[in-house]
Amino acid sequence: MHKIAILEGLLFVMGDEGLSFEQIGDILNIPINEVKTLVTELKKTYDGDDRGLTVNFLGNALKLTTKEEHQAYYQKLIEVDENNLSQAALETLAIIAYNEPVVRTQIDEIRGVNSSQMVRKLVAKGLIKEIGRSDLPGRPIIYRTTNDFLDYFGIASKDELPPLKELTAKEKDDVDLYNSVYREE
Amino acid sequence: MDYKVTINKFEGPLDLLLHLIKQSEIDIYDISIEKITKQYLDYIRAMEELNLSIASEYLVMAAELIEMKSRLLLPPVQEDTDDNYEEDPREGLIKKLLAYKQYKEITTQFKELEEKRKQIYTKAPLNLKPDDYQSESVNLSILLDAFDKFLVRKQLDQPLSTKITKIGLTVNERINKIREILIKQKQVKFNDLFDIINKEYIIVTFLAILEMAKNQELIIKQTNNFDNIILSIKGSEINA
Repeated sequence: MHKIAILEGLLFVMGDEGLSFEQIGDILNIPINEVKTLVTELKKTYDGDDRGLTVNFLGNALKLTTKEEHQAYYQKLIEVDENNLSQAALETLAIIAYNEPVVRTQIDEIRGVNSSQMVRKLVAKGLIKEIGRSDLPGRPIIYRTTNDFLDYFGIASKDELPPLKELTAKEKDDVDLYNSVYREE
Repeated sequence: MDYKVTINKFEGPLDLLLHLIKQSEIDIYDISIEKITKQYLDYIRAMEELNLSIASEYLVMAAELIEMKSRLLLPPVQEDTDDNYEEDPREGLIKKLLAYKQYKEITTQFKELEEKRKQIYTKAPLNLKPDDYQSESVNLSILLDAFDKFLVRKQLDQPLSTKITKIGLTVNERINKIREILIKQKQVKFNDLFDIINKEYIIVTFLAILEMAKNQELIIKQTNNFDNIILSIKGSEINA
C-alpha cells in the first residue's frame, strides 16, 4: 500500500485541524524521518501547475490547503470577506505573543489602556487561551497564544514570529538620562 | 495650532502621545515635557469640545504629564549625593513609549501575514464518528409522534384567553346606593353591603362607607368584638 496515498487521505480528513509529524508517524507506524520524507514527496507531487492543493505547516500541524495563486477564484464564492483583526486586537496579540505567558495587567501596562474586553474577544476567537492562574495577588488568569493564532498568521511555529525590534544600544543609552541636562525651558 | 480630532483614532494615551511626538518631529528620547503636555491637553480639550467622551486612561495620562511638568519646573535639589543620581521624570514615560512603539510597529508585519494567510484555504475536519443520532431505535413513526407531541405542547403554550370586564362603579354611585338602602331599611349589617364578591366592588363599597362616615352621615355600631357592625344613617336614628 502506498503510504503517500494514506498520508494524503489523512490530511484530507483532518482538514484545518491538521496532523503533527508525530501523529502521522504513530498512525503509519513509521519513524519521524520517514514521515518527513513522505511529506516532502507529497508536497512535490502537489507542486505541479495542474494541482490545486498543497501541504502547509501551519500552527504546529501539517494541513492540506489550497494554493495562493488560486485565491481570486475562491474569492468568487464569497460575498464579502473583510474581517481582519482591528489594530487594538493586533497590538494585544503581539504583546501576548512576545511576552507569554502573561497576565492581563502586563498587557494593560504596555498598552496604557484596559484590555479586558479585547482579551475576552481574543479568547472567544480562539487566538489566545487561559492556561491557569498566577500566584500574583488576585490570582489573575494567565494567557498564551494558541496554534490557531499561528495558523491565522500563516506561521508554522513560534520560532517564525517576526523578530521584535530590540531597542538598540544607542536607544538604551539614550534612555539613561540620569546625567543629561534638562532641556526644559 | 489646528487639531483634527478623529473619534477612536487612537488606541490609547500612549498611541496619542506617539502621534503627537511624530507630528511635531520631536526626538522621542528628548521630549520636551512642556510642549508635549500642552499639545496633549489641547487635544483632550478639543475632544471635550466635540463632546467626545474621553476614556479615563487619557485623563490619567494628562495628570501624569502635568505632574511631570511641575516637577521639572522645580529647581533641581543641589544636595549632591555621592552618585550624583537624579532620576529624570521623563525616563519612565520614554520607556513606556518605546515599549509600546515596538508592539505597535510590529503589527504592520502581522497585518501582512494575516493578508497572506487569507490567500489559502483549508477545510474543517471530517466527522469520522458514526452519527450519534442514527440508531435502530429511531424511525419515522417515532419522529412523527414526537412532532405531534410538540404540536400539542405548542397548543398548550398559547396564552389563555380571558375577559376583562369593568363595572365602572364610582364611589359616589355606591354612596347613593348605600344611602338608598339605609333610608329604606333604617339599618344594615356591614357585611351585607358586600354582596358581590368582586375586588373593585368591595373596594368601592368600603371607600363609600368611609366617605359617608367622614361626612358624618353614618352611625357605626359594634356591641362586642367581632359582632356584626351595624350601619345606620344619622338622620334616621334621630327620627327613630
